[in-house]
Amino acid sequence: MIGRYVRLEVRRALRDPGFIVFGAGMPVVMYLLFTNIGQGANPDGAAWKVTSMVGMAAYGALGAAVGTGTGIAEDKQLGWLHQLRITPIRPRDVVLGRGLAGSVTVLPSLLLVLAAGALVNGVRLDAWQWPALVGLMWLGALPFTLFGIGNGYRLSAQTTGVLNIGCLVGLAVIGGLWFPVELFPHWLRVIAEFTPANRFAALGWSTTAGGAPTVATVAVLLGWLAVSGSYAVVSYRRAARTAT
Amino acid sequence: MTGSPAVCFEKVHKLFGRVRAVAGVDLTVARGETVALLGRNGAGKSTTVGLLLGLDEPDAGTVRLFGGPPSRAVAAGRVGAMLQDGRAVRRVTVRELVSFVAAAFPRPLPVAETIGLAGLTGLEDRRVDRLSGGQAQRVRFAVALAGGPELVVLDEPTAALDVEARRAFWASMRAYAGRGNTVLFSTHHLEEADAYADRIVVLDRGEVVADGTGERLREAAGGRLVSFDLADGDAAGLRLLPGVRDVEVRAGRARLRTDDADATVVALAGLGSVRDIEVTRATLEDAFLALTRRHDEHVEVAS
Repeated sequence: MIGRYVRLEVRRALRDPGFIVFGAGMPVVMYLLFTNIGQGANPDGAAWKVTSMVGMAAYGALGAAVGTGTGIAEDKQLGWLHQLRITPIRPRDVVLGRGLAGSVTVLPSLLLVLAAGALVNGVRLDAWQWPALVGLMWLGALPFTLFGIGNGYRLSAQTTGVLNIGCLVGLAVIGGLWFPVELFPHWLRVIAEFTPANRFAALGWSTTAGGAPTVATVAVLLGWLAVSGSYAVVSYRRAARTAT
Repeated sequence: MTGSPAVCFEKVHKLFGRVRAVAGVDLTVARGETVALLGRNGAGKSTTVGLLLGLDEPDAGTVRLFGGPPSRAVAAGRVGAMLQDGRAVRRVTVRELVSFVAAAFPRPLPVAETIGLAGLTGLEDRRVDRLSGGQAQRVRFAVALAGGPELVVLDEPTAALDVEARRAFWASMRAYAGRGNTVLFSTHHLEEADAYADRIVVLDRGEVVADGTGERLREAAGGRLVSFDLADGDAAGLRLLPGVRDVEVRAGRARLRTDDADATVVALAGLGSVRDIEVTRATLEDAFLALTRRHDEHVEVAS
């Protein structure tokens, strides 16, 4: 049953204009713009095409992940979450299914930007690097999916939408997904390296550099996973208690 | 277990802040019965439905469905519901939605049958959020029936429907009840409660103020209405006539609700000041107003 639920929610998410714009369309367009306009200013165009590919793939995955929460908040408002509670589907399976569906919708966002990198910008990586990139970044998106779910259960659809987009843009900028953190002043760069989006993209950057993620990167991401996971659980429990 | 009623409320209380939404409700619905929950807006109908489905926990008292807690009946797929706050689920087609819900239940109706019963044939591939208000309401009815539940709970099911759709809806509802299923619906339409329910439970201010067939409610509130032109006559004293339970003067016409119309008419004739007299059966509306008004007075005295 949980498989059916995941299928239903994935189908619904992929039909969402919000997903198509923030999760799929914008990252690809921004990637192609950022890497093909003003090339002269960039001394190392080929490297930038790889760095930005990872950054924009992370940005797209982030958008898709937090978008899960917007969907939940909307469904709460439409009474769909109540309707699900009066089916035999276990409440736990609904939350789990929603999380899994959110994880699945992250994939097309990742794949679209990587495809643009390979096919349009001529990025070439070793054969092992592509699946490693997809796998690591797919897993790395989990804290953001949970953060979105937490918002969705806690807040109204409108607030969730605004907050999610605010966080998305804020985290993308400070995390260096749009512009490399090397351009930041030193103090900001230190902060940036503790933010979740930066460490998320670092999973990809270490892979394209041919190495494994550092222990620090994994530790910071696990920390954020614990925070967002607790947030999602607390929000869900609170939403379940205040039924009406 | 086969003997336990479909629905059983025992002294159920529910507070929201300081508002007593449900205040000591006792209610039993036998299997196979169709019961209407009738009340004004804010009478506690939706709260009662929420408690029944286990969406809310009572502050005191017990709610049982088929002899067990609501959550167990829901988990076993014995309950289907159409909620009042439900709106169109977005980005999903009618068929996708109905098939999904059906698959969640152990003994669902065939999807085509559900779609036929709800009057959605031909709309299967349309997106739910692109249907008209009435069509979307029928989708919610389909979602309630899809699992083939033994107990169907419908909270204000006809609110967005026009006359024709309403009639079609009730025909489907009766067909489903006719298979031996239990139906509980809430409404503030008296005619609907009277026409389609075996029994009417009148809720007011969170309490059950009457419970019985439409006929019994009319009897309980004073079975006959005697009305006549007062002319210049005085309304004082009419209350004391035999059989009279209630007097109302509207636009020069007195309306006496009475348990014994014959005695009332004979007494009125004795007074001699009667013009254009008419004896009618009290409508359910009269009964309803009498029941809730009496309750208002009672509450005012009590507080």
